[in-house]
Amino acid sequence: MKLLAGKFALITGASQGLGRELALTYAREGVRGLALVARSKDLLQSLASEIYRIRPNLNVAIINADLGSSVEVERVAAVTLAACEGRLDILVNNASTIGPVPMPYLLDYPADDFHQVLNVNLIAPFLLIQNLLAAMIDHGGSIINVTSDAGRVGYPGWGAYGISKFGLEGLSQTWAAELAKTDVRINWIDPGNMNTAMHREAEPDEDPTAWSDPAAVTDIFVFLASDSGQHVRGERLEAQSKWRARLQKG
Amino acid sequence: MGVVDQKPAFTLPADLSADRPPERRGLSRDQVRLLIIDRHANSFTHTRFDRITGFLAPGDLLVFNSSRTLPAALIGKARDSALTIEVRLAELLPDGTWLALLVPSSPKKMEELFTQGLIVDFEWDLNCEVLKQDRRIPRLWQLRFSKTGTAFLDLLYRIGQPIRYRYLSAPWRLSYYQNVYAIQPGASEMASAGRAFSWKLLLQLRNQGVESASITLHTGLSSYLDGELDRQHVVSEEKYSVSEEAADKIRRTRNSGHRIIAVGTTVVRALESAAAEFGGEVKACHQYTKLRITADYHLQIVSGLLTGLHEPEASHLELLAAFVPPEKIYAAYHEAIQRRYLWHEFGDLNLIL
Ligand SMILES: NC(=O)c1ccc[n+]([C@@H]2O[C@H](COP(=O)([O-])OP(=O)(O)OC[C@H]3O[C@@H](n4cnc5c(N)ncnc54)[C@H](OP(=O)(O)O)[C@@H]3O)[C@@H](O)[C@H]2O)c1
Repeated sequence: MKLLAGKFALITGASQGLGRELALTYAREGVRGLALVARSKDLLQSLASEIYRIRPNLNVAIINADLGSSVEVERVAAVTLAACEGRLDILVNNASTIGPVPMPYLLDYPADDFHQVLNVNLIAPFLLIQNLLAAMIDHGGSIINVTSDAGRVGYPGWGAYGISKFGLEGLSQTWAAELAKTDVRINWIDPGNMNTAMHREAEPDEDPTAWSDPAAVTDIFVFLASDSGQHVRGERLEAQSKWRARLQKG
Repeated sequence: MGVVDQKPAFTLPADLSADRPPERRGLSRDQVRLLIIDRHANSFTHTRFDRITGFLAPGDLLVFNSSRTLPAALIGKARDSALTIEVRLAELLPDGTWLALLVPSSPKKMEELFTQGLIVDFEWDLNCEVLKQDRRIPRLWQLRFSKTGTAFLDLLYRIGQPIRYRYLSAPWRLSYYQNVYAIQPGASEMASAGRAFSWKLLLQLRNQGVESASITLHTGLSSYLDGELDRQHVVSEEKYSVSEEAADKIRRTRNSGHRIIAVGTTVVRALESAAAEFGGEVKACHQYTKLRITADYHLQIVSGLLTGLHEPEASHLELLAAFVPPEKIYAAYHEAIQRRYLWHEFGDLNLIL
C-alpha cells in the first residue's frame, strides 16, 4: 500500500523547487487529491499535466494566488475545502519569498518588502492553519512548515527572510503546544541547502551544484505526512540529517 | 397561540443591533453575553458565553452546522444597459444554477428590469444569464453562471463580498463572518449561532468530555429586502447533509440518555427533518427539507438549542416555541432588552436547555 493512500494534501509554493517535487512525490505515494498553490498559473498547469501522467484521474486543484494577501489566503482555504470535500489530511506551508535580491542589510531593508516577506512566509502559514484546522481536527492531520537554517541564526543580509523563519519556528512551537491534545500534529522541517531558483538568486556567487537536488529531500515530507510518522509531533527536523534512524519506529 | 400572530411580539430598540464583531468592541469572540432559558424551570440565567462549560455535561453532544460563509454578494452590470445589479446568492440548485436576489441600482419595478435571457457581467470575465423568476419567493431569480464548481468558487472569492446589512458600522471583512469550525463553503450568510465558539473553548469542551458532531446546511438569505416578504419569513426548501459519523454520534448520545444540543436553528431543522424522514432516527443522508417547526411540533432529537436573539416579528420566533412556550421567550427577551443584549450576527446569544 502506498504511504499516502487516501490522503488529501495542500502544498503551497508548488510551482517550482521543493514544492513541485513534493507534489510529484505525494502523487506517486498515492494521495487522494492535491491542492497546489502559487502565483504562476502556467507552471502549476504544466505540473498538473505531469501529475496526470503519473495519476491520470487524480483530483488536482490548481489555485493561482498570491499568499502575500490575506484575502487571497481566504480564497485558497475555501477552494481547498471544497476540493478536499471537507477533509484535509496534510498541509505543507512551503511557499516562501526571499525578498529583494541582492539581499540588502536589514539596516537598508525597504519597509514594504519587509511586510511582503512576512506576509508570504509567516502570516500566510498562520492564516492557512487557522482556516483549515476545522477540516483536520476530527480525524487528525499533519501540518509541515518549511523553515530554514536562517530561522535559527541571524545571518547578515538574510534580513526579513530569516526573521520570517524565526517567526515561523515560533508559530510552529506555539501551535504545537495549543494542539498538543488533538490528533493534528505540527512539525517544521529545514530542508537544508537545495539547488533551487530561490537559493541561486540569494547566493549567485556560490556553486549551486554543491547543493542538494530538492527531489532528494522529499522522503522526510512523505514520512511525516504518512501514518508512519504519527508519533512525531512538535519537532524541528532537518531533511539532510540522519532523521530516519531517530524517528522511524521498529 | 401567540406565536403565529403577525404583530411584533416586542419592540427592539435600534441601538441594540450589534454593529461590529465582539473582537472590535473590546471582547474576545467567546465573551459575548449568554442568556440561558431553562426549559424545565421558570428562571433565566445571564452569563458570559465562555462560561457555557459550566452548563454542559460530559456526554452532551453539541451539533454544529459546518457550512462556511461565501462572499455571496456580487456587483455586476446588465449587458447592453447601464444598470448596476447586486446579485445576492441564495441557494445552489441541484442542476448547478443559483437562486439569487437581484438588487438593481434603479428604482424601477423588478419585472421591468429583469427578463429571461438578460446577461449580467462581472469582473474576471464571469457572467450569468437570468433564467426565470422563482415562483415561491418572487424576489428571487434563477441564474446560470458561466462557471461552475471550484472554478466558480474561485471567482466568487475574487469578486464577491459578504452580504451585509445596514446596522453595521463598517463593511466588515469576510473573515469576521466565519465560524472557527466552518468547513464546506456554501452559506449565503453566516450560521451565526456558533460564532462565539473559539478554538480555545472548543478544545476545553472536548477535554471536558462534551462531544461534538457536524451537519451541513447552507444557510440562505435572512432578508429579501422586502418588508412584507421578510415578515412572512417564508421557509425555503433547503438541502442538508448528515454524515455517517454524525448519525452515529447522535444515536450513541440518545442511547446513553445525554442531551443533543443544536448550535443554530438550521441544525434543529436538519436533525428533526432527518428524524421525520427515517421514522424517528437520524441516519446519514443528503436530503431536502421543507419542514416548518412551530410551537406544536414534537421535537424528536434535539433537546437544547443555542441561537442568536431573533427579530420581534413573531414568525421568527416560532421555531423557538417548539422548545419553550412563547410567553417564556418573550419574558426572557424583555430581560435581554432591559439588560441591553445585542441582536444580529455579531451579537449576544441564547441557550435553551
Ligand atoms: N533552497 C534552499 O536552499 C532552501 C534552504 C532552506 C529552506 N528553504 C525553504 O524551502 C522552501 C521552498 O523553497 P525553494 O527553494 O523550493 O524556493 P523556490 O524554488 O523559489 O520556490 C518557492 C515557491 O514559493 C512560491 N511563492 C513565492 N512567493 C509566493 C507568493 N507570494 N504567493 C504564492 N506562492 C509564492 C513560488 O511560486 P510562484 O513564484 O509561482 O508564486 C514557488 O513555487 C521555502 O520555504 C524555503 O524558505 C530553501
